[in-house]
Amino acid sequence: MFGINGMKTKNLLLLFLLCNICCSLSFAQQYQVTIHTGDAENNQLPDASISINQKKIKADSLGNAVILLKAGNYFFTVTSVNHYPFTANLFIKNDTTLFALLKMRQSLLGNVTVFSSRNVTRNQLGVQSINSTQLKKLPVILGEVDPLKTITLLPGIKSGGEASSGIYVRGGGPDQNLVLLDGIPVYNPNHLFGFFSIFNGDAVKNVEVIKGGIPAEYGGRLSSVIMIDTREGNKDSLKGVGGIGLISSRLSLEGPIIKGRSSFIISGRRTYIDQLAKAAAPKKVGGNGYYFYDINAKAGYTINKNNQLQFTFYTGTDKFSYNKPNDGRSRLFNTFWGNTLAGISWKQQISSKLQQQTSIVYDKFALDSRLGFNTISFIFTSGLEDRQIKSDWQLSSNNWLKIKCGIQYIWHQFTPGAGTVTSGVQEFKSKVTSQFAREAAAYFSTDINITPKLNIIAGVRYSYFNQVGPTTRVLYGSDGVPTGNTAIFLKGQSIAQYHYPEPRLSLLYKLPNSSSIKASYTRTIQYLHLATTSSATFPSDLWIPSSKLVKPAIAEQWGAGYFKNFDNNSYELSAEAYYKTMNHQIEFKPGAQLLLNQNLEGEMIFGSGKAYGIELFFQKKRGKLTGWIGYTLSRTERTFDQLNGGKPFIYRYDRVHDLSIVANYPLSKKWEASAVFVYGTGNALTMPTGRYTYNLGYDNAEGTVIFTNINQYGKINDYRLPAYHRLDIAFTYTPKPAAKKRFKNSWNFSIYNVYNRYNPYFIYLDANEDARTIQGKKVYLFPIVPAVTWNFSF
Amino acid sequence: MINKTKNTILLIPVLLTAVIISSCEKNIDINLQPNQPQLVVEAYINNLFPQYNYVILSHSQDYYAPNFQSTPVANAIVTITEGSRNTAGNYVWDIASKLRLKETPVDSIPAEFSVGLYFDQRAYTDRPHALKGNIGKSYLLEISTEGKQYSAITSLIPTVPVDSITQGFSFVNNIGDTLYRITNHYKDPDTLGNTQLYFWRWSETRKNYGWGGFFKSRVPGTDDLANGEYIQLTHPQGFSRGDTINYYMASITRDVYNFWDSYNKAKDNNGSFSTPVVLNTNITGTDVTGCFSGYSLSTKSIIIK
Repeated sequence: MFGINGMKTKNLLLLFLLCNICCSLSFAQQYQVTIHTGDAENNQLPDASISINQKKIKADSLGNAVILLKAGNYFFTVTSVNHYPFTANLFIKNDTTLFALLKMRQSLLGNVTVFSSRNVTRNQLGVQSINSTQLKKLPVILGEVDPLKTITLLPGIKSGGEASSGIYVRGGGPDQNLVLLDGIPVYNPNHLFGFFSIFNGDAVKNVEVIKGGIPAEYGGRLSSVIMIDTREGNKDSLKGVGGIGLISSRLSLEGPIIKGRSSFIISGRRTYIDQLAKAAAPKKVGGNGYYFYDINAKAGYTINKNNQLQFTFYTGTDKFSYNKPNDGRSRLFNTFWGNTLAGISWKQQISSKLQQQTSIVYDKFALDSRLGFNTISFIFTSGLEDRQIKSDWQLSSNNWLKIKCGIQYIWHQFTPGAGTVTSGVQEFKSKVTSQFAREAAAYFSTDINITPKLNIIAGVRYSYFNQVGPTTRVLYGSDGVPTGNTAIFLKGQSIAQYHYPEPRLSLLYKLPNSSSIKASYTRTIQYLHLATTSSATFPSDLWIPSSKLVKPAIAEQWGAGYFKNFDNNSYELSAEAYYKTMNHQIEFKPGAQLLLNQNLEGEMIFGSGKAYGIELFFQKKRGKLTGWIGYTLSRTERTFDQLNGGKPFIYRYDRVHDLSIVANYPLSKKWEASAVFVYGTGNALTMPTGRYTYNLGYDNAEGTVIFTNINQYGKINDYRLPAYHRLDIAFTYTPKPAAKKRFKNSWNFSIYNVYNRYNPYFIYLDANEDARTIQGKKVYLFPIVPAVTWNFSF
Repeated sequence: MINKTKNTILLIPVLLTAVIISSCEKNIDINLQPNQPQLVVEAYINNLFPQYNYVILSHSQDYYAPNFQSTPVANAIVTITEGSRNTAGNYVWDIASKLRLKETPVDSIPAEFSVGLYFDQRAYTDRPHALKGNIGKSYLLEISTEGKQYSAITSLIPTVPVDSITQGFSFVNNIGDTLYRITNHYKDPDTLGNTQLYFWRWSETRKNYGWGGFFKSRVPGTDDLANGEYIQLTHPQGFSRGDTINYYMASITRDVYNFWDSYNKAKDNNGSFSTPVVLNTNITGTDVTGCFSGYSLSTKSIIIK
């Protein structure tokens, strides 16, 4: 395997050299044009799209762009979300600097969504994004804007179900997505056992998902990168946005710290069902309750036009408590879990051609559970803590070559499931000690316009992982019996070490009539694994490092696509195909014990997977009616020697057909409507084929046979749940859309599952031994659910 | 009145959310794949009760089969042979001890339970000479039925004695009765990897027959987290004053522990968060499941005061 990869890397380097030679021959006398974008409130526009005589480029993270042009007359157009376009006609005869000042639209919740039309010209396969304006319009369960739920409306991205924030991208598992909040990894992005994600819609500016052709600057996960960028604060005046919803309220404040130079934004959200219940029935509620809160904060400081500091902070906690002592058998369950993230980054435009961004990141997830039942008490804690530093550099030497490189280092600390069980006075304490690991990566990537029509982005990432001490491990034999020995590793002592090259390649060939074809190859390595046996993602799920036994997961993905825009970029059409293989996939033995298990690795089995499919996407971006239709035809399989007789089986979240239709339509100046329809093949399940009785006895008093039914299973995931489909609608009412008052408000009325489809959450067979009956049962979560949210801004 | 209205208003979102969050259930038809029948073996040997050394054979059936119980397998040839392990770790079987277990009508066993139940008849007619497990010995179970052969081996490891059973941790139940819990006190051997099952009989189950007559769950324990400690294990169940509890602690081999641990997981396995659990059988042969369980029993009794 290594030899083959070595060959691929060598071939890529040869390709770089060839490209450089070809390109250096083809350009003549040119002048450098530097474009700075911004608005009246001194906000830089990092996402601005710049069009120069139909040629399209994108501003960098500081809102700047550099291009080399031959002498001549050029028409410049600069566009950005929530701003009116800027246009200028210039004659270029020497090096020129252009300041493009865009006028802001009246409301951040304005009804016009500006989309870039870079899908044809951007050399990036398998990428999709949704901005905050779009997020807030779409109907969602209980009116809670949820970026993670919304991206599952895009082709190739599937949700695990209604009560799950687990995301499955192109056949990958829920732990195979690198979820980044302003560049900071998030390990458990869920509130309320997966009903909601931790991302507050008011704080989010944009969500982008890369599901194939992952650039070399990203790594550590196999299947996707989900980037959630939060808004920057207003640098000119204090402003606020908030909302009161059915289950939670939220408020965001933003404004300048030093006018024109630095700003802040802080957003908070809390559910209040617990408080209402306590106020309504304090005696009945007692000490029981559930709530979550989260706080997002971001501050930016512009040191000068070439240097900027940015600080991001998130903290959020879920807390659940239950206490029922009234029948003498005390029952209590108290648990809380949450993430704390903090990061500071320094963006620097070193010269007109060179820029860098260096970040220091801290990231923590912690869970603490206490359960008491009868004489048994149970304390369980787990967690993960990361400290990370990374530096990314970009050199735009001219308009045919762009070089990116960078390094990254992460120090991981895992606390996998330490806990204690007591039964009466007896204590059983698991000897699960913390584990530590170093993860590092360096990458180098070139973006080359070989001809005006052909662009190649070729790069390689080299990643390294080292599990180190101190840790103490109880050793078990192959039969699962402890040997009585422990392995002790000293601080810094190497336990397991891996390193792999990860080549990445993207090709773009522009065709006539606003169309292009793209292809990509990606190899990704994942050193961390999520230990879960359930279909939902739980806070008790454990992240564990690669070790001697647990090898890093490796995926290779090939993709190709056709992209076409119509009617001056009003319509976008794309068709993508992909084929992905995944090695060293982890499953747990059926019935595995994960909590408090000193021998977690003994419960694991290892296999491989593959996924392939076609994704079609059609979007209408302009006009009264906007929206998209996404369709995916796909297949995902897993193969494990110990499962299904070693034969391949369908992955639980294989979805042969997946259809999403999203539409927005302004009914009047005050009313706007939106609708979402989704259809997906049901999840694959392993259902019993037979049953037998065991543990037989005879009740002489009753004259009956005592027995217990045990299920017999056949092939794995051989049964399909009924198809999942539903229609949601939402109406947004803005009472005074044209008012120039500072205070503005709107109402969002939504209906989730309009035709009251009973989509199965799970199904099961109820074999009632006493009544001697067998009945199939379907459990569903959400029937038709209306919701109303009042939003305001000032 | 104002308070009442205020409370009603406050309750609306609470109730609405409770209704929304709480799941709903509907009956549906689920069409299942055809089943491949398995031979199910439930076999025991112990050192205290000859009547409880038996083998039950049955066939698994289609999930929707009208008979709720498995189909008994009659007329099988079932034998048990005693042996031991030599210093090389190999089993040496005493052919002279080979005993055939039979389906024999016995008055104290109901007819509906006796088909497919194989035991040594002397357990009822000549108990001192009936099949009984000996501590330190191993046992070979061989089954021949419908032209197929099956076998299993289990061992009776040294017993861990119950030091005492005490009462305590009382609580008052829903109808106002005070119930008392029992605690098993014993010293875990200093060797790591000891595993036990805990059983008890009380007034409600005293007349029941068979290992399934104790209770449907098994209560397993290992010393993985408490090796060599003096164990004081309190069970959650409450007992009334005056009740006599006969407590049994079965020391078992790891494969038997693994089987009953998987049984516990399999018997309550339903719903979204479940995964299909296949029993960890120690029976060899094709299309077979179950366990040959060797129990090295120690016992104590207590009268709740």
